Amino acid sequence: MIPAELYLLLSAALFCIGLFGILTRRNALVFLMSVELMLNAANINFVAFSLQHGNLTGQVFALFGMALAAAEVAIGIGIILVLYRNFSDVDVTKATTMRW
Amino acid sequence: MAAFTYAPAIVLLPFVSFLVALFAGDRMPKGGALAGITATGGSLLLSIWVALTVAGGGYHNEFIYTWVAGVESVTLRFGLLLDPLSALMLLIVTLISFLVHIFSLGYMNDEGETGLPRYYAGLGLFTASMLGFVVANNLLMAFMFFELVGLCSYLLIGFWFREDGPPSAAKKAFLVTRFGDYFFLVGVVGIFATFGTGLFAPVTQNGEVVAQSFPVLAEHAVVDGETGPIAMLDTVGLGAQAWFTVLGLLVLGGVIGKSAQFPLHTWLPDAMEGPTPVSALIHAATMVAAGVYLVARMYGFYAISPTALAVIALVGGFTALFAATMGLVKQEIKQVLAYSTISQYGYMMLALGSGGYIAAVFHLTTHAVFKALLFLGAGSVIIAMHHNENMWDMGGLKDKMPVTYYTFLSGSLALAGILPFAGFWSKDEVLYEALIHGLGSEGGLATAYVLAYAMGLLAVFFTGFYTFRMVFLTFHGDARSDTARDPHGVRWNVKGPLAVLGVLAATVGFINMKPVAELTGAHIDFLHAWLAGPDEGGWPAALVTSSHHYEELLHNVAGVAAGEPLGATGTLLASAAVSLGLALAGAGAATMLYRGPDPVEHTDKLGGLKTLLMHNYYQDEYQVWLATGLTHPLARAMDKFDQGVVDGVVNGISSVSLFGGSRIRRIQSGVVNNYAALLTLGLVLLLAAFGLAGGWF
Repeated sequence: MIPAELYLLLSAALFCIGLFGILTRRNALVFLMSVELMLNAANINFVAFSLQHGNLTGQVFALFGMALAAAEVAIGIGIILVLYRNFSDVDVTKATTMRW
Repeated sequence: MAAFTYAPAIVLLPFVSFLVALFAGDRMPKGGALAGITATGGSLLLSIWVALTVAGGGYHNEFIYTWVAGVESVTLRFGLLLDPLSALMLLIVTLISFLVHIFSLGYMNDEGETGLPRYYAGLGLFTASMLGFVVANNLLMAFMFFELVGLCSYLLIGFWFREDGPPSAAKKAFLVTRFGDYFFLVGVVGIFATFGTGLFAPVTQNGEVVAQSFPVLAEHAVVDGETGPIAMLDTVGLGAQAWFTVLGLLVLGGVIGKSAQFPLHTWLPDAMEGPTPVSALIHAATMVAAGVYLVARMYGFYAISPTALAVIALVGGFTALFAATMGLVKQEIKQVLAYSTISQYGYMMLALGSGGYIAAVFHLTTHAVFKALLFLGAGSVIIAMHHNENMWDMGGLKDKMPVTYYTFLSGSLALAGILPFAGFWSKDEVLYEALIHGLGSEGGLATAYVLAYAMGLLAVFFTGFYTFRMVFLTFHGDARSDTARDPHGVRWNVKGPLAVLGVLAATVGFINMKPVAELTGAHIDFLHAWLAGPDEGGWPAALVTSSHHYEELLHNVAGVAAGEPLGATGTLLASAAVSLGLALAGAGAATMLYRGPDPVEHTDKLGGLKTLLMHNYYQDEYQVWLATGLTHPLARAMDKFDQGVVDGVVNGISSVSLFGGSRIRRIQSGVVNNYAALLTLGLVLLLAAFGLAGGWF
């Protein structure tokens, strides 16, 4: 059996990739994808620990996480549409009207 | 005691008439007067019932309503105290108010005044407030009604608000009395803080004291040294008696304002701008009487402080003389009466200060009758003269209006203190008390009393003079103007109250003929018996408000003792003879000078002194100077300090956060990546902090 540490390393790597994307990219769609990566990193953690403890709760939780991600995408796409309508662009650094 | 069950109605009836006149007066005949007459008449009947019950040994001191229930602290309550003093005062107030309402039919309705509902509403509220003040059983309730009385005087003095004079006079009355009430309020708070109660007399249930009163607590503290229940003594660092003197003098501030004593008397002559029936009500029974009544109500508290007594006596004696001299030269009939009111209340204060509790209450009673009579008589003259008040335009009204003349004469004889009219008996007793206590006491108290007595005695002469100067100028001689030759007639509603009061002014002194009682040995000094209460048994808690108890306190604690160099009867008769002689001399001088068909202004011979008197010793001027020349610059300096220093500190502190905010807000760049970076940074820092604290590294 593959030890849990490897899954955790995979999850940490995915999370960091997602975080990197959020911190450096300007395209809102890429933003959304990065958020998905981070969410799935969390899901991997759930499943890994579920396997470790021989307990199904973590897997069920992962399913909930996916459903949540789907809902989040729906709202995220909606926000990006409005962003585009208002600023004719999906570059998040352009939309800076809510500032001091 | 069934009468006591209905006693709250005495206060509530005029209050209802206030509401009725205010909201339905327009739709009622006589502009709401009938409601007021019915209500005060009902109150009068109830007061008579209460007085009869009290005469039968009844006594009532109960709480009605608790409006702040304190836990381990002061509880604020409304309550009724019905004892001989308040029962007597209820009779006076309701009687005068009833007659004033009837008189107003002639003075206001028949003269075609507008705004009558407002007028009658004011009278109703005025009467209700005064009655509430009279029956109050604790100091805070008394204070609240005291303030209501002040408010009503403001509303009524300024009744003719479209003219220039009345609103300004109303404001002056309100502000000057409020200046005194400020000290009163501090005194009330001080008394509550010191004793934890404001009760005038202890409340008992089945013979057990359930709530102690502050004069009794003060008495125990001074006489027996029981300072256990007394707070504040350590805080202020004074002995019990000294601190009680301070509290008593603070309350006295309110008394001096309301009872128009020097130096806060200036509002009263200006208050003549109000309608004359209101003047009668203010001077005889309500507003001005409230101050003296308050001292009498808490007399047990003053009786243990010789300093406070000396101050009261000196203020009273000085005011009596001071006001009487100003009354000598006035030209308007109501002005003369106004100064006589100030002077007569000075006599009451003199009596209270010099240990003549009964004399003061007696003079309060007789003065209420004859001053109401004189004001209503003056009102009748003013109707006749088409609202010209200058006495130099009158003359010869004696034959044209005999009812007014004879009743006015009865009131004048009472005011001047001529035997056997009411004022003689009471004023004589006031001066007698001051004299014997001045001769019998020791030290500074004796000096103060003798000085106050001398001023009071001198004022008797002036009183006789200005009273008869007024009578002769108004009613005798030839008519000096067209209106005086053909005066306007007055109807029954003016003559009726005058007749009732005219008879009373001649006879009310018979309730306490002390000189006659001394001479004949007959027990006809009814007021003494009334205020002393039953000798034994009766009302145990009430004994602390009986005149017996006050006399013991005055003698044992304050050191007020009686000295009678000519023996009891001899001194009494000598004192009576001196005051009567002076009154006759004053009246005789006025008769000599102002008799005859065409009198001249003899006071012109006084020259500069007359100018001084006409300007009221420049009291108004110096008080205005105090306000504009002293208080205003002081206030401006304070304003500078506030705007500059206080606001500067506050603004300095706020500018720091303003500057900090303007720098820190630059984090809000609007770029989402920056926010994400900050979030991540925060998370990392948190993790690092937890890690360090948890010992992961």
